[in-house]
Amino acid sequence: MGLPAAVLFGLFYFVPFIANLRYSLTKWDRITEPEFVGVRNFVNLLTNDDLFYKVLGNNLRFTFLVVLFQTLFSLIFALFLVKNTRANIALRTLFFFPTILSSVSVGMIWLFMYDPNFGAVNLFFTRLGLENFALNWLGSEGSALYAIAFTQVWFHTGQMMVIYIAGLQQIPQELYESAEMDGASRWQQFRNVTWPMSIPTTIVVMAYTTIQSFRAFDLIFSMTQGGPNNSTNIFAVLIYQTVFSELRIGYAATQSIFFILVLVLVTVLQRRFLSSRYEK
Amino acid sequence: MKHKNARAFKALIAAVFAISATVVPISQSFAAGESLGKKCTTEGVMTGTKSTSLICTESNGKLTWQRVKLASGNGRPVANLTPPKGEIEFWHYRVELADQRALVKIINDFEAKYPGTKIKQVVRDTTTYNNTARVAILANPKAALFATSRGAIFDQFAKSDMMLDLSNQRYVKQNVVAKGLTAGQYEGKQLGIPYQYLFNNPIVNTDIWAKEKWTTPKNLSGWVAWCKDAKAKGYVPLAWPGATRGQAAQISNSALMNSAASYDDLAKNLADLNSGKIDLTSSWFKGVADIYVKLRNAGCFPDNATGVTEAAAYNLFATGKSPILPIGTFAMGSIVGLNPKLDGKMELMSMILTDGKVVAEGIMNNTYTLSVNKNSSSRDQKIANAFLSYLLTGKVAEIYANETLQHVNVLDVEYKNVNLLNTVSFQAKNTMLAPRFLLLNAAVSDLTQDALIQIVGGKSPDDVLPDFSRQIKQKLQG
Amino acid sequence: MIYKSIRYVSLTIFALLIIIPSAIVVLGSSKTDAEVYNKPLALPESWNLNNFRFLFEVSNVGRSFMNSVIVTGFSVTITLVLASMCAFAISRMITVTGKILFSLFAVGLAIPGQVNLVPIFILFNDLQLTNKLSGIVLINVVTTLPISVFILTAFFRELPKEMYEASEVDGATPFRVYRSIALPLSRPAMGATAIFLFVITWNELLFPLLLITDNDKRTLPLTLLSFRGEFFSNYSMIFTAVLVASIPMVAMYLLMQRSFISGLTAGAVKG
Repeated sequence: MGLPAAVLFGLFYFVPFIANLRYSLTKWDRITEPEFVGVRNFVNLLTNDDLFYKVLGNNLRFTFLVVLFQTLFSLIFALFLVKNTRANIALRTLFFFPTILSSVSVGMIWLFMYDPNFGAVNLFFTRLGLENFALNWLGSEGSALYAIAFTQVWFHTGQMMVIYIAGLQQIPQELYESAEMDGASRWQQFRNVTWPMSIPTTIVVMAYTTIQSFRAFDLIFSMTQGGPNNSTNIFAVLIYQTVFSELRIGYAATQSIFFILVLVLVTVLQRRFLSSRYEK
Repeated sequence: MKHKNARAFKALIAAVFAISATVVPISQSFAAGESLGKKCTTEGVMTGTKSTSLICTESNGKLTWQRVKLASGNGRPVANLTPPKGEIEFWHYRVELADQRALVKIINDFEAKYPGTKIKQVVRDTTTYNNTARVAILANPKAALFATSRGAIFDQFAKSDMMLDLSNQRYVKQNVVAKGLTAGQYEGKQLGIPYQYLFNNPIVNTDIWAKEKWTTPKNLSGWVAWCKDAKAKGYVPLAWPGATRGQAAQISNSALMNSAASYDDLAKNLADLNSGKIDLTSSWFKGVADIYVKLRNAGCFPDNATGVTEAAAYNLFATGKSPILPIGTFAMGSIVGLNPKLDGKMELMSMILTDGKVVAEGIMNNTYTLSVNKNSSSRDQKIANAFLSYLLTGKVAEIYANETLQHVNVLDVEYKNVNLLNTVSFQAKNTMLAPRFLLLNAAVSDLTQDALIQIVGGKSPDDVLPDFSRQIKQKLQG
Repeated sequence: MIYKSIRYVSLTIFALLIIIPSAIVVLGSSKTDAEVYNKPLALPESWNLNNFRFLFEVSNVGRSFMNSVIVTGFSVTITLVLASMCAFAISRMITVTGKILFSLFAVGLAIPGQVNLVPIFILFNDLQLTNKLSGIVLINVVTTLPISVFILTAFFRELPKEMYEASEVDGATPFRVYRSIALPLSRPAMGATAIFLFVITWNELLFPLLLITDNDKRTLPLTLLSFRGEFFSNYSMIFTAVLVASIPMVAMYLLMQRSFISGLTAGAVKG
């Protein structure tokens, strides 16, 4: 009974996966015949491609920022809204709302918000007299990646918050009651009860956020397409450009292989790190 | 025999035109009285854009009415071919609303005229089209007619050997502006017919210009001085969209235009840059970068220039915050949409960014090049050919031109729109086919533009040029 | 006290961060471009549907909307059927095959199908699956299978074994057990998965971008993206299109908040 799914998945996931390895050993523009070049693409990528390292750095930075802040904010908001009061439920519904939008819509909206001359973000800062904060958000290399990371956090914090709330509501009430009897402060309650009890949820939230941040193609593609000067370029965008703008299929395949390696590495390290906390 | 006839015919036509031009004022929108050789007052004013039209231009130190130099010289425009019955796909990248309105109308007219023949549009936005269309069309013989943009994309398509040679079609010889055919040629074959005749030149708000009593700067020092003055008066001198690479790049045409001693020298430099023979640190390109530095230091560009999107730049110009939009004639339609008061208040401006020898005064580009698919069935090719010939008749091209506010590469088109009339005189100027499209490798072209954008953003060419040269080299290696 | 004010302030800020952009979009859909730019937060000079009318007249939004409905409908249904069968099989097989099957999808979960962008593009071109809604459905099913199998396997494993065993003794085939026992019991899990799939499929951009070139076959995100085309500067239209693309989701969200939230949460937790 599992056969149809397995066959389909094998044919359109694993077979292409293998084909990708084959392409990575060629030079191919889809106009002329592919030319076998051995490991040249791999050598070039590792030793003579500044852009690759830049994209790797961007991707890691973006993932780190998004995972850190999205987890932090979603936990904080979950703590604030954990009780099922009417106001809290309304706010949860509101915070969750961006999750249902498409990345392209979110991209379009924030493209406008960040406009240096007309956007609401700079309008806000200048009204408050904080002209120094009115930046060229998406236009300067220094801020563009952060601006998009913020948008990504805005986009999915609500979803992660709901996961946290579900987790927090599982924590037995008695634990808090006994902590309170011991005269524990709010902070101590958090440190000794809430945080240790919510580590399993944190693992889920962080793992999901990591995958999500690696898949930010849609958002970046609709906002900056990797610019300015590749400061927001991440793997998926880079590969897309290598295939379509530059017609370098072989090289793009090589980039994909490194994309997979990085993704696996990040996931494994993260699981390790978090599970070690968990077992303590 | 054939040749002789054609020449005799041409002479006859010329005579008729000359007579009609001297006797009858051709366009109602202009005061009567203009006739060939007579004195006129406003340079650039035209009586229309048919081959019978006159333009006010300087000769021997006097402004006189001259014949518009648009004629193809290959005879009188011919009627379109008749298509067989059947359906083809027409692939292109003009998603813009005005283009869609025009094309839908043209196609409906065509289908009504030839029942049983159907043209189905397949349209994608430029970025996606450039990224995917070639491969898709190669696999799809139904796509009998398709468009490409001049430069890298046309070149990729041409290399794939998928376009029919149209050299021998009569309508190609006789209906198209002769100067405009070169952009569709590849290795001696006429693989496509550029439909649009664009000017990638700065557009100026004539009201502001008149109010501030500015005169057109004649050279780079003049532009530097003008920017300082405009900035001091509270304007953003050039509404330059540094966040939208494709449009930010338009001004690079003007910078490149006079950066070498001749068009051939420039073309060679660009070809060498494209192939990696020279890089951005060459003394020629350093000169180009230096133009940007001078303009930047004079305050020509907006604040936060690298974050200004195309939409924002249009808005700067449309709201009068900026007197110049350094993009091109194709932006005028959007500008009128944003601010209807600017209708008729826009003109093209020559932007000479050198203090040395002037090779050209302005930029034009022939693009939206239409080709017939070599892999289609012969019946489908006939339909495509017939529809192409239909598009290339004056009356039909007129619909497209006046609806989309783009000039077309077709003879005997009567421009009705005031903005087109105000700018069409550039067709008679000493213009250069937009040089930036000579960078045929997309990666090289993009990185070159990115480097210039970085310089406007405040970085020094000493850092930017070596850095980007290295990136180009890496892109060219595999 | 400090806690309360921090709570109050941060909740307000985040709420405003969501309300303000949404308001700009909604208001913008009734405005002209000049108004959008110069007074983004002001009320429009007049409330009207001109932008909507214009949008449907001149663009392919209506067609794209239908395409998205078709693609999403088929993708979600097929994924659910295949994934539930597979999940059922995995949960009933404590054998090696079941484990292999499970780890197969585990790989797909850890390494999303996006990394196969290059070979999928070439394969689909060779198979002439480009420019077909069925091609998009196929790739959607493949990319969403792993997570669906995971969610549903987790659910089937929680069902008490006795329920199956009783009917197996009766000699029912596995397929009958699946249909008459597992499926009816798993309605809530299937619903949650469906919503999860619905949202991600409706919003998917990458593969349609890769595989669709015909503007009659575009899905909504693609059409939306095309509005950012090189010569397009019409923000009021972009906002109108954003609104049109979001309306079905928003409507469903408002009607079925609880299922939505639990669906999208299940997707993450069980995954």
